[in-house]
Amino acid sequence: MDKIELLQGTLDMLILRTLQWGPQHGHGIGVAIRASSDDALQVEHGSLYPALHRMKKQGLIDAEWKLSENKQRARYYQLTAKGKKALAAEETRWNRMVEAIARVMKPA
Amino acid sequence: MPFWDRRKENRELDEELRFHLEQEAQLRRDRGESADAARLNARRDFGNLTRAAEVTRQMWGWSAWERGVQDLRFALRMMRKNLAFTGLALVALTLGIGATTAIFSVVNSVLLRPLPFPEPDRLMTIWENPPKSTHNNLVQSGNLLAWRERNRSFVDIAAMFPMGINVEGQGDAVQVAGLRVTGSFFPLLGVRPLIGRTIRAEDAAPGAPPVVVLSYGFWQRRFGGHADVLGQKIPVATESTEVIGVMPPDFAFPTLPRTALFVPLKIDPVQALRDGRNYSTVARLRPGVALGAARAEMHAMALQLGIERPNMDAKWDATVIPLLEKTVGETRTTLLVLLGAVFFVLLIACANVANLLLMRNSARRREMTVRMALGAGRWRLLHQLAIESLLLSVTGGALGFLLALWGVPALVSMLPAEFPLPRMSEIRIDPGVLAFTFLISLACGLFFGIFPAMQVNRGQVSDGLRQGGRGGSIANRAVRHTLVIAEIALALLLVVGAGLMLRSFLLLHSVDPGFRTDHLLTFRMVLTTPLTTLEQVTALRAQRVRQMLEKVRALPDVSAASTIHIPPMTGGNSGTDYHRLDRPAPQAGQGTGGAVSVISDDYFRTMGIPVLAGREFDAHDRAGAPKVMILNQAAADYFYPGENPLGKRMKVSWGPPPDEMEIVGVAGNIRHDSLDTKPDPCIFLAHAQQPSGFQTLLVRTRGNPQNVIAEVRDQIRAVSPSQGIQEIATMENLIGDSIARPKLEVAILGLFGFIALLLACVGIYAVISYSVEQRTREMGIRLALGASPGSVLQMVLREGVLLAAAGIVVGVGASLLLTKYLATLLYSIRPTDPLVYASVSAVLAIAAIAGCLFPARRATRVDPAMVLREE
Repeated sequence: MDKIELLQGTLDMLILRTLQWGPQHGHGIGVAIRASSDDALQVEHGSLYPALHRMKKQGLIDAEWKLSENKQRARYYQLTAKGKKALAAEETRWNRMVEAIARVMKPA
Repeated sequence: MPFWDRRKENRELDEELRFHLEQEAQLRRDRGESADAARLNARRDFGNLTRAAEVTRQMWGWSAWERGVQDLRFALRMMRKNLAFTGLALVALTLGIGATTAIFSVVNSVLLRPLPFPEPDRLMTIWENPPKSTHNNLVQSGNLLAWRERNRSFVDIAAMFPMGINVEGQGDAVQVAGLRVTGSFFPLLGVRPLIGRTIRAEDAAPGAPPVVVLSYGFWQRRFGGHADVLGQKIPVATESTEVIGVMPPDFAFPTLPRTALFVPLKIDPVQALRDGRNYSTVARLRPGVALGAARAEMHAMALQLGIERPNMDAKWDATVIPLLEKTVGETRTTLLVLLGAVFFVLLIACANVANLLLMRNSARRREMTVRMALGAGRWRLLHQLAIESLLLSVTGGALGFLLALWGVPALVSMLPAEFPLPRMSEIRIDPGVLAFTFLISLACGLFFGIFPAMQVNRGQVSDGLRQGGRGGSIANRAVRHTLVIAEIALALLLVVGAGLMLRSFLLLHSVDPGFRTDHLLTFRMVLTTPLTTLEQVTALRAQRVRQMLEKVRALPDVSAASTIHIPPMTGGNSGTDYHRLDRPAPQAGQGTGGAVSVISDDYFRTMGIPVLAGREFDAHDRAGAPKVMILNQAAADYFYPGENPLGKRMKVSWGPPPDEMEIVGVAGNIRHDSLDTKPDPCIFLAHAQQPSGFQTLLVRTRGNPQNVIAEVRDQIRAVSPSQGIQEIATMENLIGDSIARPKLEVAILGLFGFIALLLACVGIYAVISYSVEQRTREMGIRLALGASPGSVLQMVLREGVLLAAAGIVVGVGASLLLTKYLATLLYSIRPTDPLVYASVSAVLAIAAIAGCLFPARRATRVDPAMVLREE
């Protein structure tokens, strides 16, 4: 399957969605996005961190240093209440957009 | 995020990214990749590591504080790079703010700060107004007593009588400024003594033992500040007087700040009805009584007293003036004019700095547009410009404050001791003024910062880049030109003000007072005579003066000597009613009369005043001989127009009862009160016939007057060992002190005018330089096409001359409008004096052209080849 580039502005939503399962570090988030899209979405890992730090500044996520499974220090991100709300709003918006685009591309 | 957390944050980001890469490599090794391949692939997969870290860091954003520090460091670097600009701007700001603070400190201390008494705004002074006059006259004793009894407006009224008081000692008798006060004086002011008690009503009762309250200064000088002075008896005005109290150091009656002694003022109710008008007053309004109501009541009482005692009070009125207003007095106009002037200096300084900033920022347009093109936000640029100008103005403010800190004491110490500036001891820079200064400098900074920044922002980025930094919009240029025109106009206004004051002062200074002022010494004193009967006292006064004159005239360095009871050039004179004996006596309240001087023989020769007709007083005019008088020219013209007054007789109300006197001489007019008072009718009485306790010994010396002082003082002591001397001064000093105020006005306004002129020069210089710089290319082309350097010079000068002309026209207009407020300060010239206007305009035009000349000459030296190659 060909890799596709991420639509602009959707990375935040994917990150929020991923964090819904619980706190995760940057690498974990990248791996999770790749895995849950069956490797179709190729997220350049380098672009994760600016997004994470920006979202943290916006208050959508929190960060905390914890020990990973293999006993290494890692920064774990988790959703805040504000982040949960933003995720809900993003999902609604996304769904409406997909529907609308689908209607245009496949007229009944 | 605070900047000190930034390093930790950086470390944490590194750790986070390293963890990511290790994690990815681990994942890949688990899938079976070799260790090296795993690491490389992890890196490739990640993308540009440095760029990612950089972008991430940007996400943290910058705190306002951190941006501030960054901008501040940049601003400091810019200041250091642009030393000429920084220097000029700082000089302008320092002068503007420093001068403003200094003058404002003085104005604040003198005019605005309340008097140092409880509820000071209720302290009033009461005055009588002579018939058909608004002159504030001293108060008649009987009226004072009637007012105290009848009024409903005041808590109390106190009377004061300032006089020199002799304090004897062992060969060190002194005379100091004393104040006789009624018992109500201290309670009414609400002041408490430092030690002991103050004067009470009982102290002023008939037969009460004599007491005295010392000022802090006199206590320190004379008694070394020893507390055991209380209860001591000291010889005050020939009486053994008990010291009952000492006032605190900060106490001074505002209109008589140098008073050293306070003694009870005894008013005998019977004698009071016949007394003259002698007393100043201070009164405290009852709570809730308005000034207007008190004035109305005083007016009504004066009317009633005029009916009750027509001989004394017919047609006299009375009025109330707040003590602060009276204290500030004529100084008010001077200080307000200075305040206005210093405000204009500040405006010029501001315009100058604004112009400099405007030009520099225009020159930095390229830098700004490049930064903008690289993505700097408009706010960020605005912020940086604001910081730069704030730094400039705060530095200027601090320097200005230092200048004021140094300038205020310098200003005060410049004043002569007798300078009539009230509340001088209260002058200091207070926190309010400090705040005022910094507020001004901050406001300036914000204005300068925001305004030029707006200019930059409005410009289009692409335009800025295309123009290669040589831009400068038309609007920008209009603003600069307006500013420089305003500067020239304001400078002209100030210099016109200074010019008017200078011309007025020179005129005043060159006034002929009517007598010879050089080599003339004055010894002012109150004759000390043991209190016995009036006849004995007058006889003793006459004898003392005769003996002093005999001894002093015998000195080899003395060419002439005489006395007068109130010397010329000390701001006042005595006056009384007198009229021709061969005419009916004028009605009560319609008295004719004028000034009176009581003099000794040889007075006119000593003073160098011509005797126009008849003779001077001589040794034959003594007590018992026929009473004689001399008129000045003005009195002769007034009373005997077209007649010969010699041998005629007048009735003079001087010592009670009124005397008939024969006119034996007419003398030339002199200016008595001060240089700017026109000679009024004045009569001269012979001291030997009308002895006065107030004496000023006048001594004309052959050599340097300073060398004669000690000898004369010894002769006075030889006649009366207990006689102190209040003041010794040369006549030239007295005249100098009498014109100290206009002199100070000229000095300060002159200084301000000079500063304004300099700043205006710098302003026009900067504008023209900038314009020449902008047009370098045009000049190069012109020169290349064969224009002569002369024509280029002319072209640049034309721009400057047009600016200067516009400034001068506006300035002359403004001066014509504003200098009318100077009218009361000017002597014998009008505020529209054409000579001053013409010469000041010429000076300004020359200064403006001088300002253009350097940049214009630079324009002619442009090398066309260089300029054209540059493009």
